[in-house]
Amino acid sequence: MLRAHSVTVEFPGVRALDRVSLDFRAGEIHAIIGENGAGKSTLMQVLSGAIPATEGSVMRGGVPLRLNHPSDARRAGIAMVHQEINLIETLSVADNIALGHESVRFGGLIIDAQRQHDRAREVLGALGAKIDPSQLASSLSIAQAQFVEIAKCIASEARVLILDEPTAVLGARDAERLLALMVQMRMDGRAVLFVSHHLDEVVAIADRVSVLRDGEVVQSFERGTNGALTDVAGARVDEGVLARAMVGRELGSIYPPITLETDDHASCRCEPAIELVDFGAHGRSRGINLAVGAGEIVGIAGLVGSGRTETAEAIVGLRERVGTVRVGGVAVRFSNVRAAMKAGIAYVSEDRKGRGVHTTLSTIENIVLPSLDASTRFAGAWIDRAQQDAVAAKWIQTFGIRCPVPQRALSSLSGGNQQKVALARWLETKPRVLIVDEPTRGVDVGAKSEIYSILANLARGGLACLVISSELPELIGISHRLVVMRHGTTAGELSSAQLRAHGADEHIMRLASGVASDKDQTS
Amino acid sequence: MNMAIAPHIRPAHELLQRWGVVVAFAILFAVSTAKQGAEFLNPENFRAMLNSNAPVGVLAVGMTLVIISAGIDLSVGSMVVLAAAVGVTAMNALIASGTSELSAVLLGASITIACGTAAGMVNGVLIVYGKIAPFVATLGGLAAFRSMSLAIADAGEIRAQSATLFSALGRGGIPLPYLENAAGKQLTLSYSTVIFFALAIAAQWILSRARFGRYLIAIGANETAARYAGLPIASVRLRVYALMGLFAGIAALIQSSRMNSVSTSQLGLGSELDAIAAVVIGGTSLRGGAGRVWGTVVGVLILAMITNILTISGVSPYWQGAVKGGVIVLAVLVQRPSNH
Ligand SMILES: Nc1ncnc2c1ncn2[C@@H]1O[C@H](COP(=O)(O)OP(=O)(O)OP(=O)(O)O)[C@@H](O)[C@H]1O
Ligand SMILES: [Mg+2]
Repeated sequence: MLRAHSVTVEFPGVRALDRVSLDFRAGEIHAIIGENGAGKSTLMQVLSGAIPATEGSVMRGGVPLRLNHPSDARRAGIAMVHQEINLIETLSVADNIALGHESVRFGGLIIDAQRQHDRAREVLGALGAKIDPSQLASSLSIAQAQFVEIAKCIASEARVLILDEPTAVLGARDAERLLALMVQMRMDGRAVLFVSHHLDEVVAIADRVSVLRDGEVVQSFERGTNGALTDVAGARVDEGVLARAMVGRELGSIYPPITLETDDHASCRCEPAIELVDFGAHGRSRGINLAVGAGEIVGIAGLVGSGRTETAEAIVGLRERVGTVRVGGVAVRFSNVRAAMKAGIAYVSEDRKGRGVHTTLSTIENIVLPSLDASTRFAGAWIDRAQQDAVAAKWIQTFGIRCPVPQRALSSLSGGNQQKVALARWLETKPRVLIVDEPTRGVDVGAKSEIYSILANLARGGLACLVISSELPELIGISHRLVVMRHGTTAGELSSAQLRAHGADEHIMRLASGVASDKDQTS
Repeated sequence: MNMAIAPHIRPAHELLQRWGVVVAFAILFAVSTAKQGAEFLNPENFRAMLNSNAPVGVLAVGMTLVIISAGIDLSVGSMVVLAAAVGVTAMNALIASGTSELSAVLLGASITIACGTAAGMVNGVLIVYGKIAPFVATLGGLAAFRSMSLAIADAGEIRAQSATLFSALGRGGIPLPYLENAAGKQLTLSYSTVIFFALAIAAQWILSRARFGRYLIAIGANETAARYAGLPIASVRLRVYALMGLFAGIAALIQSSRMNSVSTSQLGLGSELDAIAAVVIGGTSLRGGAGRVWGTVVGVLILAMITNILTISGVSPYWQGAVKGGVIVLAVLVQRPSNH
């Protein structure tokens, strides 16, 4: 249906794709996997006309397509959901979905708002997303916004669907719904391409898997007649094999060993680093009581919309709050992030592109931004560039951030690498309390394990850490203790032992969705 | 990703985007030379051109910082006239009350600058605490500040009562050795030009080397992300408008001292447009988040040369606005980012 023929893309200082040739067939789900910066998004963008190929071409039926602009691709029946959200915040959900193919009457004089509204509701309904089409895009959560992006793509009736990390911002259930929908698309005879760092999804639904490394296709897998994913030799392929193919080496457990000193912490919890008393974000959450000791990693689980992000934002002064926060035993009230930062509290947002980083500033400038004071002299009149570059270099090294030219705009980095920058800029402020919201969003397996071990190390050094995540294995893997939120308040808590007990994930899901069982009531 | 650095040649449009303003300057320079020859190349001509454009240059330099923070200040011309009117009125009152001329002039000058800064702070407070969009808040200032100065002088002119001392700043300069004009008189580099360049250098340094400048860029690029990064947004925005006011006060001082009077209905009229035009021609995008002061300086010179050429070639002043408008649009066209 669609073929990439020897596609090469060169950016300043880097060859993102090196003669990549792949076939994408109708009625097939084709997964592209690879490390951060391997060139996955670049390939997807070439196929959808967002980036021109330096060499090579995109062909259909043996004829090269002229893809100079995304609208060319749309006309050719190719639609794409980008890695980052690109909704127009001041328009409604329905208007966003209809953007570029509005329903008009009288030759474009009037937009048929009702038709658009109905169409949006229909598509969102098919996705199982409870989103009001007349809502403004700015009021959507990240996960909802992602659904609207997907709806936009589906509404265009394209024959080729390209999804770049569509499940990165979704919780487990939403992700499952989306995967089911992708399977349905395949059965309709469309070609579905997707990128994912969730290898379990890949094993579950992909008919064909291509592994990119440094801009080249290094390996391919195909679903055999027995229904299992196999390599060329016919051997069965699982997540471990895929991970190895991506990074080119054996990966052990990606989670650091949890030092079970948590019981000591329980006893020393008399002096928590941060304590929430009857706390909440005004209108979004309430009645949260939680203490995090120095050296403790506490996970926060919950469905999308359970108020986790809002609560975190209220702690650091980004939202109006109710209740009390105590830091080192003293009640504090932060009116903005700066005040929280001075008290040693850092918050890494889940919305990387919109809030977490400055895409037009350079990688270096991004990394030092919150901690800029440490790199300035003479009361801020002079930024010590050598110092600033050294700080950036340190983090680029620590996280293995792939950035050919650190002086260039951050937008030239791949999504996963931007995520590492978002973390690095806050770690550089040397916080005592770190709140991370979806810390490994879009990060490859290798780098994930790197991030986990950094967090574990910092905790060992006395950092109190709150981890909000929609990935249960991640939460279970790195937390000492876990709190589950539902409908804006805590629905339960799992101790270290409970977390490591069999069936912990089901226990958490039950708490999060409010399906109580006898076991929960006793715990 | 092969680490072997692929040779990267910037495409022509990217080069033009970056250096277009310098090319335009060179072309205008060549055209002027061709048209006027020695008369244009005469140092006295440059002195006069720089001298007369210094006040708007000072405004444009301040405007560059404001625009980089994703703001705008439409009230600069009115701040100039208000600061000048208040300063000269105060100076006259001091002289009339028997204060020595020197201290009256010094006090008057300080009051001019302070008044500009205060007006800028009013803008800043409205924008930061009143949460009024910069365009609207300063549109209010555009009307209000001029009307206040008209009220002070009954829409008339305020003559400075200092005989020569006050006008020394606006008319004087640093003698340049070895440079003489045709009449054998030694040339001077006017103080106003010196001030213009000194402020431009200071602003460029703020932008590229100071924390304040980095914050301006970050806030202009993405205010929400800046808030999440813990930047002191309120104080940075307040300070940039106060700084703009300070620059307007300095421009006011240069103007009033040069004329030794203030025409409340004429002074600073339309300077906001000239200042914004110079910023845009210089390659700073109105979207904010990036920009360059040196570009603005070249922009000021380009506008000055255009006026010069048009005047010399006898083009009616009525048509000059159309030409300038065309140049602004052309500058934006050439320098707009290639995608989007
Ligand atoms: N606009 C750009 N300018 C310069 N370099 C770029 C640009 N976009 C991408 N690159 C570079 O191309 C390479 C491939 O990036 P790409 O976004 O395709 O990675 P990816 O495989 O999607 O990674 P991730 O999993 O992190 O999303 C990276 O080294 C990146 O820095
Ligand atoms: Mg990507």
